Amino acid sequence: MSRGGRTARRPSGVRRVRGRRRGWLFVLPALAVYLTFAVLPALHTAYLSLFEWDGVTLGRWAGLDNYRRVATDPALRGSVVNALVLVVFFSFLPVVAGLVTTALLARHRRRGMAVWRLLFMLPQVVPLVAVGVTWRWLYGDDGLINETLGGIGLGGWARAWLGDFDWALVAVGLVGTWVLSGLCMMLFLSGVHKVDPQLYEAARLDGAGPVREFVSVTLPQLRGELAVALTVTTVAALAGFDIVYVTTGGGPGEETAVPGLLVYRLAFSDGKVGLASALGVVLSVLILAVVYVINRLARPERTEA
Amino acid sequence: MPMDEGMRAGRRATARGPGRPGPRRFLILAPAVALLAALVTACGALTPGSAADPGRPRTVPSSTAVPDEDITLKLTFADAPAMVDALVAAFHRKHPRITIEPRYTQFADYVKSIKLTMASDNAPDLAQYAVGMDDIAARGDILELAPYRDAYRWRAKLPASALDQLSGSRLTGPGRGAAGKRLYGVPAGLSMTGIYYDKELARRAGITRPPRTLAEFERQLAAVKRAGMTPLGVGALDSGGLHLWAALLNNAMPPAEYRRWIKGERGATIETARALAATRKLAEWSRKGYFDDSAIGTTQNDSTGQFVRGRSVFLVNGNWAAGQLAQAMGKKAGFFLMPGARPGARAVSSGFSVSYAVSSRTAHPQAAGAFLDFLTSAEAQKIVSDNGFLPTDEDAVPVPRGVLGEVARAHRRVTADDGMNHFPDFAAPAMLDPLRAGVQKLMAGRTTPEAFLGSLQDVWDERYGGGGR
Amino acid sequence: MSTASPAERRSGYALLTVLALAVVVPFLNVFLASMQPSGEPVVGMAWPEHWSLDNYRQAWTVAGFSELMRSSLVIAAGVVPATLLLSGLAGYALGTLRLPGGDGVAALFVAGLTIPVELIVVPLHFDLRSVGLTDSYLGVILVEIALFLPFGVFWMRTHFRTVPPSLVEAARMDGASAWTVLVRVLLPLARPSLTTLGVLVFMWSWNQFLLVLVLIQDAAKRTAPAGLGFFVGQNNTDVPMLAAGTIVVMLPITIVYLVFQRSFVAGLLQGAFKG
Repeated sequence: MSRGGRTARRPSGVRRVRGRRRGWLFVLPALAVYLTFAVLPALHTAYLSLFEWDGVTLGRWAGLDNYRRVATDPALRGSVVNALVLVVFFSFLPVVAGLVTTALLARHRRRGMAVWRLLFMLPQVVPLVAVGVTWRWLYGDDGLINETLGGIGLGGWARAWLGDFDWALVAVGLVGTWVLSGLCMMLFLSGVHKVDPQLYEAARLDGAGPVREFVSVTLPQLRGELAVALTVTTVAALAGFDIVYVTTGGGPGEETAVPGLLVYRLAFSDGKVGLASALGVVLSVLILAVVYVINRLARPERTEA
Repeated sequence: MPMDEGMRAGRRATARGPGRPGPRRFLILAPAVALLAALVTACGALTPGSAADPGRPRTVPSSTAVPDEDITLKLTFADAPAMVDALVAAFHRKHPRITIEPRYTQFADYVKSIKLTMASDNAPDLAQYAVGMDDIAARGDILELAPYRDAYRWRAKLPASALDQLSGSRLTGPGRGAAGKRLYGVPAGLSMTGIYYDKELARRAGITRPPRTLAEFERQLAAVKRAGMTPLGVGALDSGGLHLWAALLNNAMPPAEYRRWIKGERGATIETARALAATRKLAEWSRKGYFDDSAIGTTQNDSTGQFVRGRSVFLVNGNWAAGQLAQAMGKKAGFFLMPGARPGARAVSSGFSVSYAVSSRTAHPQAAGAFLDFLTSAEAQKIVSDNGFLPTDEDAVPVPRGVLGEVARAHRRVTADDGMNHFPDFAAPAMLDPLRAGVQKLMAGRTTPEAFLGSLQDVWDERYGGGGR
Repeated sequence: MSTASPAERRSGYALLTVLALAVVVPFLNVFLASMQPSGEPVVGMAWPEHWSLDNYRQAWTVAGFSELMRSSLVIAAGVVPATLLLSGLAGYALGTLRLPGGDGVAALFVAGLTIPVELIVVPLHFDLRSVGLTDSYLGVILVEIALFLPFGVFWMRTHFRTVPPSLVEAARMDGASAWTVLVRVLLPLARPSLTTLGVLVFMWSWNQFLLVLVLIQDAAKRTAPAGLGFFVGQNNTDVPMLAAGTIVVMLPITIVYLVFQRSFVAGLLQGAFKG
């Protein structure tokens, strides 16, 4: 470099440092709002979880008692178990449904696919409260499901699905399946359409049928989409509140109570703010762990990147 | 909520190192945990909640004279918006300088938030009395009304049992013995539960009159079942189940014993032989198929609608349904109280009042007092009765016809027998859900009567610090 | 793969049709219920005898859905622009300016992607009440912005990183300030990303339930989904009216979805998700 070049660069370098410092001004507003209204409350929850507090009178230091109670109280533990059962319906079933339809449609050239896609993703877009209300009627005594069962001679199966000890959790779970299946399907289909067609041709030259083609070509290419789908659906299952609140309110008994519902109920109606906070923390840790595991599993072979 | 980490695993950000959150997240968490630990050990001032404000009055002033100025009072409530609107309007006609702004909140939400609402610095001047008000009274957030009771002579105008339910009797400490002399709310109208029946359908099952004993009622239920109809409509998805349980309990457990439990008095328990018998009865009725299969999934509203359409012969519900039933069914609808073991046994039922308390932060206690006194007037009582609630002064309003009249007469019997019990969820703020869920489990055979009562007593023990001490 | 056999093609369409029916029937069921006479019990799925918008009128005026919708719109109108602005600024700085410590802050935002509402809602109720921000649109707006910022910042940062550095360098060489670079050079390029973020944030804000349930007790200020949640417990018997209300609550977000379908689908398929 010439001397001239050097001297020309120096002021620019100084300006850049000052510019960088000024660059923080761009970040600061977002950071301030985020810290004040999300991070601080999260820490506050962790703090409150160490107290026994009714929300009004002076709280009492409780140490880890609330956490002990989350681990031992059958209703609280049951809510976590219920949430894990819901993972089957919110996550496993939609992903399987998505993969099956993808396998069946992968060779299909998607004339008018945009319209289908618009339709299949609609349940994902409308408020879950409205979805819950809708399904509440479908599951009702005189609802479409019972009427249909009666119509095809299975009237004996008709019941108040959301009030049935054996079926309520399944019924709530299937609402989640309905909401999330379209998303998974479209996610996988759009992933498949990005796969290099040569891979399929090669597979076909090797004499691969649809099944082997799917297992050996499609599935490995969908690793990223699978991670997205699993993350989104699992969190929806674990942190769910809206659907349960609207359809069953946790009943019958405590069959469909989920952590989100109990956090709300404990804190704002039972006057157990500390316990509610502890449950909130446990729920968040659980979500964090699951998300971490899913994303770890999603990219083992790419460590060199 | 937005989220996705998987996205990074997707096409977009796979190899962009810095965003990789794994270990980094713990770097962030570490200082957070340290900060937390520092906060916790720092000082006791960070303990959530604070002691009651000593600067506020705990009792209304002795003077009832309303200052001659323009006054606006805020009223928060959860029951009967139409009735409240009418009461407020009528009061304003009498006291043109006092305006009351009512604010309606749905009951379930009201119960959840009332403690927080009354503790806030901009608490409304007037609030409907609900579960948890006794705690609010203990904290000094609502005013003690005894001076007004004496000045306005409410004792002469209001039933003793209704006033007793509003005495904040759960107050602990030295003042406890005097609890009966305290007053924290004034009732506008009263409520009560019982059993409705469809007279036409009942006749088809050979039933011509309301049962006089529990045994007779059971024979009627069995007869209806034999006739191929659903005997008893219960909306157990929300509170119908606990109304049924309470009705059975009322006639099994001596009221004095039950009331000790409701009020949280030392040593009280619900785990008694009689309560167990009542609970077993409910489970037995369920086993015998006296309820619709879907009762657990049916709301009270829906069970009432089904009753109107002839889907059950009997229905458990409260006076608040009487207006709707009278309109929809006319003379077909009847009402009786859950009968006791013997004919002519003491009439006991569950009920409460639609009552209002005064915030200790109000600037206008006298104006609030004037409104409370207005509630006892004949004009207010007519409004209450027109809206399907039972008047506190039975003589102020003529007994209506039809099923409304049957409810009113039954209520008189209960009042005369001093048989009005609190609803069981009044025992503790956290009692409602175990009750609702517990009765559902009983009806589905998912719990034993013993375990059900045990779970209620656990909630009670937690609230009052154990029965034995 | 464009060489599907006619049989495959036919079975593919059959499958799509069955799935489409599964999606449509619940919506259709609500719609038909909303056309039944007010106050009548609705059994199964029945074709209405005559079409009328009475239930909608009823829901809009008597049941107060007009107020609920207004609240929802006010909140969304506060949340969407603010989130776009803050995310855009932060995403730009964190994505292109190589700030010292910037990666740490970016990671802090990423950590927020997993925060469920349940984790923050309890203290928020007490903290915001003590400063008078409960029963206020502003309180809900601020919290929603904070909730959506992790995704917003992450999304915009990812976008700005895809912009070729040479473009920024060239502008800087011409002596443009960081601000000028953002406004003149990068913003026009960022429009698709911002649009996608905007419609996603609108959706999340419109659909938010638990937060509103806790922060707003005043019935006059509730949002549409919160109001609907309350009505379910209350007006069970008037199914047709409530069905109309349900449709009313779903309608605005559905319209936005149809208008901005490309942005929506792009966002959803890249893993954004509602809560």
